[in-house]
Amino acid sequence: MIRYKWLFSVLSLALFSSGFSQNANEILKQADEKLLPESFESYRKLINEEPDGSKKEFIFYSVKKGKDNVAMLYLSPASDKGRATLRKGDNMWLYIPNVGRPIRITSLQSVVGGVFNNSDIMRLDYSVEYNATFNEKTDSQYILDLKAKTTSVAYDKLKMWVDKKSLLVEKVECYAASGTLIKTLEFKEIKDFGNGLVRPAVIETTSPLYKGFRSVLIYSKLKLRKFPNEVFTLDYIPRLGELR
Amino acid sequence: MRVCLPIVFFLNILFSGIAISQDYDFDIPEEEEEASIEFNGNLDAKWGILRARKESPLYRMNFFNTGNDDSYLSQNRLDFYFNGEYRHKQVGFLMKTFYQYTKEGPIDPTFFELYGSLNLTPRLSAGVGKRRYFWGKGYAFNPVGYVNTEKDPENPDLALAGIVSGYFNYNKSYESEWLQNMSFSGIVMPQEAEFNDKFSQADHTGIALKLYFLLRNIDIDFMMFQRQDEPQRYGFDFSTNIRTNLEIHGEVSYDKDDPKAFVQNNEILQKKISGTSYLFGLRYLTNLNTTIIAEYYRNNRGLNETEFTDVLNFLGNAMDSGDPEIVSQTRLDFTSRFQTRTFMRDYLYIKVSQPEPFSWLYSSIGAFTIYNLNDNSFTLSAQLGYKPFTNFEFLLWPTLFWGDGNSEYGSKQFETKVETWLRFFF
Repeated sequence: MIRYKWLFSVLSLALFSSGFSQNANEILKQADEKLLPESFESYRKLINEEPDGSKKEFIFYSVKKGKDNVAMLYLSPASDKGRATLRKGDNMWLYIPNVGRPIRITSLQSVVGGVFNNSDIMRLDYSVEYNATFNEKTDSQYILDLKAKTTSVAYDKLKMWVDKKSLLVEKVECYAASGTLIKTLEFKEIKDFGNGLVRPAVIETTSPLYKGFRSVLIYSKLKLRKFPNEVFTLDYIPRLGELR
Repeated sequence: MRVCLPIVFFLNILFSGIAISQDYDFDIPEEEEEASIEFNGNLDAKWGILRARKESPLYRMNFFNTGNDDSYLSQNRLDFYFNGEYRHKQVGFLMKTFYQYTKEGPIDPTFFELYGSLNLTPRLSAGVGKRRYFWGKGYAFNPVGYVNTEKDPENPDLALAGIVSGYFNYNKSYESEWLQNMSFSGIVMPQEAEFNDKFSQADHTGIALKLYFLLRNIDIDFMMFQRQDEPQRYGFDFSTNIRTNLEIHGEVSYDKDDPKAFVQNNEILQKKISGTSYLFGLRYLTNLNTTIIAEYYRNNRGLNETEFTDVLNFLGNAMDSGDPEIVSQTRLDFTSRFQTRTFMRDYLYIKVSQPEPFSWLYSSIGAFTIYNLNDNSFTLSAQLGYKPFTNFEFLLWPTLFWGDGNSEYGSKQFETKVETWLRFFF
């Protein structure tokens, strides 16, 4: 009898945890939808701020479709203009006009320097790459622990703060498999982009590995828009500018 | 560096268009959003100092009767790239021009690209004119680059001229876990004008076809090239990430009746051979953000050691004659028959690059070697880059060519060179 009680307790705990995880994943999905709609275009400005106060700025035009198709065109500075990146799930390519053909790159690399790497700028929905569990619930926030579904994801674990009322992400900490904190993303400046799209317009990133550096990503003209699948292909990368 | 900081800070305040302000607003310049015509380009001011290898037959041929006695030479030039692009709905026009200034005199532009395109739908595009194509996955070499202009492995990123052609491209995506994308490209290439600088033989028009698949996480291309009196070529390439920080790629080309030039009895001859050229490579990103590119290239029509020595002896004999007519004819024969940057058969290319080493902001260092596995000669080059200002870049680029006198890199006309580049983009 004692043995059955033990089995019953384990099963109950497993079922309870599973239900709890499902809720956490559901919240993660809703937070994703708030941050990145199914299909949209936007202009983004990336500012890399260095410890001496100097800055480097980039402007991108980006488009996204579905959960794992992202493409991005560099509009400025002139030295980078015309470059484009494409992400389809775990696959990522960089197109440089002089090189002429898209080359495969890794998600960990940074094509713009600074604290952001490629996977930060070409980010997919969190729920595509991570499973969520609850770490803690406060009166105003869900705090989620996210664990990468595969080893091909840039960060092994994330800790995410989500506002209970709006389901908007407020902060994300990114950890390596070793448990080392790699970077912190803070989502700021809630803005109404129209069509019911209300989300943070600014993401500030700092990293203990890059002391004194700060990267700021600012969204503008974020609009819902449908794209054919062929936009997210190697052949189309050089033509991304046609969408603007 | 400390002295520079206030200057950098001042310039930053002066030139930074948009500071990180409290309201986080930024403007997308109107011309960027609405323009259908755009111009851009860059000016590369280059200065180099080179140490001549005077005993080299190539040096003796290129500097024959020039009167140069110095072992050290300098080279100054301005390379100007000016590009224009017009786009209106489905119709596009692109122009990439190149001007090189070395001394006072008339300068003619070289059109690297000059073509019009019809981008009918996201699936369908076509165009005609002079256009660059980039087939293959290799970084330094492309055995399947049937329609490419041959890269300079010492600078694979350098812009090159395209070919006059008409092209057609069809592209389709699939909602499938396996086949995600497929595209078909066809290129038609008329022969370059050879009669009265205007006409060419109609039946010497070339055709190149390529079929691309994104199969799960693997890029795969199959391609072929055909033109009368030229070798038939069939090939494939692939590229995939096997880990988040490791990409592998490869190219294989079968070439039928490929002309191979060689020297026999002090004369340049040509024979047709059939066989396979191939390349395998990888791109690896370390935990320290160092990128390593490594490639092995097998060049089927390359010369072996004896054949290469014969070529050097042929050049040496012509120079020993001291006869300007023989030297001139030899130079003409050599440059027309050996139009390649890889004379021999087996090469290893390794490049290591590190952005912002030792926390030096805006800098990058790198080094590469091209190692000739047949005669153990090599070139070794370092690259130091610095981008202190937006749209400005400084490059320092020393290069060494090493090997014995009969080897490929040991017989180059220069032993060492140091180049500096100042690049201004607009």
